[in-house]
Amino acid sequence: MLKLFERDILSVDEISKAQTGIDVRDLCVHLNHKPVLNNINIRIPKNKITALIGQSGCGKTTLLNSFNRMNELNKNHACSGEVWIKDRNIYDRKEKVAKLRTQIGMVFQRPNPFPMSIYENVVFGLKIQGENNRRKLDDSVERALRNAALWEEVKDRLFDSALMLSGGQQQRLMIARALALEPEILLLDEPTSALDPLTTLYIEELINELKKQCTLVIVTHNMQQAARVSDYAAFMHKGELIEFSDSDSLFTMPAKQQTEDYITGRYG
Amino acid sequence: MLKKYLNHFKHSLAETSAMLCVSSLIIFLIAMVLFIGFKGGQYFVPQSIYKVVVSFNDGPASDEAFYQASSLSAEALQTQYLERYQGQFLSQPELRPGVSVTPAEQVYQINTRSGPVYFGEFYALSSPEQELHPLTELENLKQAVDLLERSLNEVQGNKLSDLHSRIAALNNSDVAKEAPARQDLMDEFSKWQLQASALKTQIQQFQMRFKEADGSLVSVPLIEIDELFQANQLTQIERIGFTLNKLWQFIADKPKQAATTGGVFPAIFGTVLMVLLMAVVVAPFGIIAAIYLHEYAPDNKITGLIRIGISNMAAVPSIVYGVFGLGFFVYVLGGSLDALFYSNTLPSPTFGTPGLLWASLTMGLLTLPVVIVSAEEGLKRVPEGLRAGSYALGATKYETVLKVVVPMASPGMLTGVILAIARAAGEVAPLILVGAVKFAPNLPIDAEFPFVHLERQFMHLGVFIYDGAFHNQTQTQSASLMFATCMLLLIIVFLLNISAIMFRHRLKTRYERH
Amino acid sequence: MRRQIQLNTHISAKFNQELEGLKHSVLTMGGVLEQQLVNTLVALQEKAPSLAERVALNDSKVDLMESQVEQECMRIIAKRNPTAGDLRLVMTVSKTATDLERIGDEIARVARLVTLNKIPDSDLVFSGMLDIGNRNVSMMRATFDAFARQDDKAAILAHQQDHDIDRVYKKVLEQTAAEIQANPKEISQWLDVLWAIRAFERIGDRCKNICEYVIYLTYGRDMNSASMKKTVKKLLK
Ligand SMILES: Nc1ncnc2c1ncn2[C@@H]1O[C@H](COP(=O)(O)OP(=O)(O)OP(=O)(O)O)[C@@H](O)[C@H]1O
Ligand SMILES: [Mg+2]
Repeated sequence: MLKLFERDILSVDEISKAQTGIDVRDLCVHLNHKPVLNNINIRIPKNKITALIGQSGCGKTTLLNSFNRMNELNKNHACSGEVWIKDRNIYDRKEKVAKLRTQIGMVFQRPNPFPMSIYENVVFGLKIQGENNRRKLDDSVERALRNAALWEEVKDRLFDSALMLSGGQQQRLMIARALALEPEILLLDEPTSALDPLTTLYIEELINELKKQCTLVIVTHNMQQAARVSDYAAFMHKGELIEFSDSDSLFTMPAKQQTEDYITGRYG
Repeated sequence: MLKKYLNHFKHSLAETSAMLCVSSLIIFLIAMVLFIGFKGGQYFVPQSIYKVVVSFNDGPASDEAFYQASSLSAEALQTQYLERYQGQFLSQPELRPGVSVTPAEQVYQINTRSGPVYFGEFYALSSPEQELHPLTELENLKQAVDLLERSLNEVQGNKLSDLHSRIAALNNSDVAKEAPARQDLMDEFSKWQLQASALKTQIQQFQMRFKEADGSLVSVPLIEIDELFQANQLTQIERIGFTLNKLWQFIADKPKQAATTGGVFPAIFGTVLMVLLMAVVVAPFGIIAAIYLHEYAPDNKITGLIRIGISNMAAVPSIVYGVFGLGFFVYVLGGSLDALFYSNTLPSPTFGTPGLLWASLTMGLLTLPVVIVSAEEGLKRVPEGLRAGSYALGATKYETVLKVVVPMASPGMLTGVILAIARAAGEVAPLILVGAVKFAPNLPIDAEFPFVHLERQFMHLGVFIYDGAFHNQTQTQSASLMFATCMLLLIIVFLLNISAIMFRHRLKTRYERH
Repeated sequence: MRRQIQLNTHISAKFNQELEGLKHSVLTMGGVLEQQLVNTLVALQEKAPSLAERVALNDSKVDLMESQVEQECMRIIAKRNPTAGDLRLVMTVSKTATDLERIGDEIARVARLVTLNKIPDSDLVFSGMLDIGNRNVSMMRATFDAFARQDDKAAILAHQQDHDIDRVYKKVLEQTAAEIQANPKEISQWLDVLWAIRAFERIGDRCKNICEYVIYLTYGRDMNSASMKKTVKKLLK
């Protein structure tokens, strides 16, 4: 069979168990006594970028938060179902939430640097883990900042306040902060919604580089961004998962009419 | 058209009235500060001495003549006295009072150690040997007095007290057996005692005599004289020196002569100590309560009720806290403490009486809502995103609160504590009930074991002012002391507030983008 | 307003790769087609029907490639939203792929003629056919070269080669017509020859199209438009 173009993206059904990063089974989430996620089943592939798209309020953030149990910070929440990461159900009673969250990094919609120095921001997670060896911390800071493509810009002012950085730099710092813990999974909730197009592209490129190290899930409102950056894409609507497939198919020939309507801007 | 005009009018009316309110507020504030500053400042500048002579029906000067120190001019003083006498003799129209006020250039002001202030023209110095010395001899005589005093101290401090303790020791042992030795000691004791009293008389015989305005002579023992100067002939530098001296005295000295002169050091000391003690109690308490309420408490009715309770606590009149402090802290808590630990000294109470500790606790209770409310305000201002960020990095709730939330909320917390301190520094009513007195013989901290005496009563600036304003309205000098204290209190509170603002600003800039 | 499209300067390295791959795919296709044409000419010259058969069979490969290129173009448009030069490149590649596929078809047509052994015995026509074929090979080479380098001048020069092909084509056509008049009984056989000659001529036209795309790629304008006349003339000098 002649192949002009190399494709390393399997179709969704072909993904084996070993290639699954997050396996979500029958997940239902209620927030404030209101159902927000209905029976979600999705297998998020390992070391790939998966985009979650859908209308505002459809539950993307909630789904993302359920991967590191951030939903539990809400006062009234209820959740059923299972989320398997590396052969363990994170909703198991024995699971330690804080420990879990060190393995699953998260970057929020708005950069939220702590009002500390850049250095302190990056080592925050490590220090919480009890790492106090200065040498090791220094190494991690450099590695994380390099991975986040920020090292060159800040290496001379590591001890300045992180609040002095620009929005794009802050967002990369947030990525570095998450990467310092060397997570297996990185969750990004609209990481570029407040950034200019060029910075956005830089961060997308960064994300693309990161998939060598971890599984990435990104929520975005920007359809083009989802198309550009993702290997797989999931379309959600009103708390349901409508379609999940490799983004080549989803953006050229979606299987569901609903998806097509949404991505072509025909939504009623 | 008309409507438009009316609308415009309404707007400008609102604007003008708002401006009027604000400007009158500011004027009022400035006026208050100026008034207190002026009245208080008078305490520190040397006053001129005038001779006031009262005569009737334009007749010759009567025997009514005296010296008066005043910061007013001669004319103003004259009118003041004239009005006073005219008022006094209104019922006797046949007596028409006249007052002449002249600057008394040669007159000395004599401040005594025990407080009274005398004015008079120098007449003579006298010593036991000689009746009349000129003023130039003053230093020599003073040295002589010094010498005598030293030997008196020697006699009293070493000889007498030593003998006294030896006698006391003998008293405890077998009386009959030790009788002769005891007699010896007693003899020696009375011998030294005699010598001491002789020395005392001798010291008292060094005197200064001066002539009062009516010509009578008055003697003051040299040892009593604290300061001696011709107030009307001070040079500019001397005046500044006088002011500085007075300032130092004000800050470092005790009040003298029924709180008409001297300083307010014990009041400053008491206030600071009480306030610090209160801060030590109220800061952790209030801050921890605020953290619990904001970070940990479930969002339910009970929490709501507690919040309402706290805001009501802030509205409770302070005298109620005083009564509570007296009833609960002093009588119940202090009473049981006494019963438990100090039963040997009962019925005289140790902790069962108003004192520093109870005052601090009462003020802590009073200012607790202030601290809680502003600490919670600070906590509220910590963005939710930061908490989420911390959790997402694997921090537990405790770590998040400790490492992210509290450092960010610290300006609010600090403001609360400083406001509480400012409030406690100026509060009066409850303090009168729980331990602040107008005059305390001892400071709450001294060299006597256990050094810090939390059960002691203490002096407080607010109470001192209250007392001064209440009891000494007529005497101009003490009123000035009161105003000076007011000024001090004002400065302290201003400084506290400014430091609160500056501290908050410093922390804020650390935590915000600039 | 000439602008060279830089393929490897995007922030997204993957996008660079994709565009590079796209361009490369066209050249790969071109290479395959060139080989097909050369093979056909060899088969024609040496009257080797088996080789010609292989060429005819190989054409499905070209068709497959074309559909892959089209799909990739669509994918890139959908996912990358290319703009300006990138968009022109993708559109050009897409259109080129279509033309290439047609070229493949034309070659296959000639190859099938060879398989059927319907080669005319007229030496004149035969050599004329070979002449056109060889010219086609050279024009194709020049075209792909121009495309690979995005060389506007080379593209115009390649474009010019079509005149020669047309000239030879006319000549061979006349010769063929003369042959047909000479022995009208073999008309059906000659008709096939006529189709083959016509196919060669069409290959030239398709190459011409591709050259025009290259010009469009660099200038963003149609080569035959009035505004381009001057530029073309200048380049030809
Ligand atoms: N804390 C909460 N309490 C109650 N309902 C909530 C809460 N958070 C979210 N919801 C509801 O859950 C639904 C999904 O919210 P979610 O934040 O997941 O949406 P989203 O897809 O991320 O939207 P957006 O694209 O605007 O960020 C919304 O309808 C929202 O009203
Ligand atoms: Mg969201």
